[in-house]
Amino acid sequence: MRDLIRPKIELRQVAKTYATDRAAVLALRNTDLAVADGEFVSIVGPSGCGKSTLIYIVGGFLPAEGEVLVDGRAITGPGTGRGVVFQEYALFPWLTVRGNIAYGLDRQGVPAVQRNQTVERLIGVIGLQGFEDRFPRELSGGMKQRVAIARTLACEPAILLLDEPFGALDALTREIMQDELLRLWLESRKTVLMVTHDVTEAVYLSNRICVMSARPGRLVEEFRVELDRTKPREEIFLSDAFNRVRNQVWLSVRKQALAAESKNAP
Amino acid sequence: MRRDPLAHALIRTVPLLLLGMLWQAASSAGLINTAFLPSPATISVALADLLGGGEIGRNIFITLFRAGTGLLLGAVCGIWLGLMMARSLKFRAWVTPIVGGTYSLPKSALIPLFALWFGIGSLTAICAVYLACLLPMTVNTFQGVVSTPKVLTWSAQALGTSERQMLSRIYLRHALPDIFTGLRIALGFSFVLAISSEMIASSSGIGKLVFFYGENGAYDYMFAAIACVIAVAFLCDRAMLAVSGWCLRWHESAANARTA
Repeated sequence: MRDLIRPKIELRQVAKTYATDRAAVLALRNTDLAVADGEFVSIVGPSGCGKSTLIYIVGGFLPAEGEVLVDGRAITGPGTGRGVVFQEYALFPWLTVRGNIAYGLDRQGVPAVQRNQTVERLIGVIGLQGFEDRFPRELSGGMKQRVAIARTLACEPAILLLDEPFGALDALTREIMQDELLRLWLESRKTVLMVTHDVTEAVYLSNRICVMSARPGRLVEEFRVELDRTKPREEIFLSDAFNRVRNQVWLSVRKQALAAESKNAP
Repeated sequence: MRRDPLAHALIRTVPLLLLGMLWQAASSAGLINTAFLPSPATISVALADLLGGGEIGRNIFITLFRAGTGLLLGAVCGIWLGLMMARSLKFRAWVTPIVGGTYSLPKSALIPLFALWFGIGSLTAICAVYLACLLPMTVNTFQGVVSTPKVLTWSAQALGTSERQMLSRIYLRHALPDIFTGLRIALGFSFVLAISSEMIASSSGIGKLVFFYGENGAYDYMFAAIACVIAVAFLCDRAMLAVSGWCLRWHESAANARTA
């Protein structure tokens, strides 16, 4: 049964300061956030606001002040329960498509028969049959990101952390990948925390959107998105509900971006 | 466009053949004093004589053993040093000044010292080769490991890679192209150092043989022995390229390696 009271991910007063050569830069300040089990939450904000920092902290890659709880327990570092997909794909270039997808299963000592079944199934899911033995350098951006997602899904994480996953793709490929992600999420109902600067993408995919201020980043506004995701993209995009939320979020992000501009101006 | 590889290889020998013919013509015309620079024809006769006997093969084998042993030891230690330097800041702080301070030192200057310590023979040559190979291997491995993108290490961690596994599964794999760059440089050094060490302090090896023919004024035989060295070094370099091409077939460079 899903735990309705305790959030899947909880951030309590999380803050992050980067030490640079000249001074300490505050990247993220006093952030509280709770993500329920099975919820899809997006974080949007102007570039350089510390959105990615937030994902890195939840991933356990960066130490930070405050508390990060997953299933009520403080995290101590990266873990296979939290799968991560980066904008730059981060595939292992020395492994083939099959090798990349099998990597996490191998590390966990999954028996070969079971591992091969999972890998074949995922290759089918991402539609890369015939490319199993190619190296990442031989793949297009969209194909690489499909492999990166499959590699993460292979370990069956309960949580997906997506750091601008489709930012490096062309507009058409991005739409296709968004639809695939939406289908995956509808089937598995994993808990997803996604960072993006694409407001439309955030509204199309998420249950809830948090807008972040310019650096030092802080969550300033929150929007619930109630849409029927089983409908086709065209219908959702043309609906009033979709466009109303999209405009609200867009205005909110724009306000933050303009505030950052005027602060930086002399 | 793809060409027949054999025809391609033949075309590449044309400049060398032309140079040989020019040299021969100059010798025959009396433009070159053959007492100091023998003609290709006399060298060929000497070469045929050398290849007929067992001496050249035995000495090349000795030199290859010295160069290969020094290279192998230098590569193993260099990869380890580079990895340690990249992974431990304390280790890096201690080793960097030593590497920087000795990088530009011509290692052949140390051969007389090694001869004093280790005597005339293989140990002196192997030590000289080892030292010359160590630094390029260290520096290149270090570069390859420290340039590992953060997202790669993070991905590996999130997929359940332990700290121990990171070294062999991620860092060394990522450094492999740089390690091969280091190996190719070290291979060249290994021949230079083995042969110069044999010229100074050895009673065997191809370096000694070349030196011996030179001392006795048998320049045709000296050139023939040098030709053998060139051929062996060339073949070793090609073999190294073939191995690295296969090991790095996943790398971006694999697409245009054919033309190198």
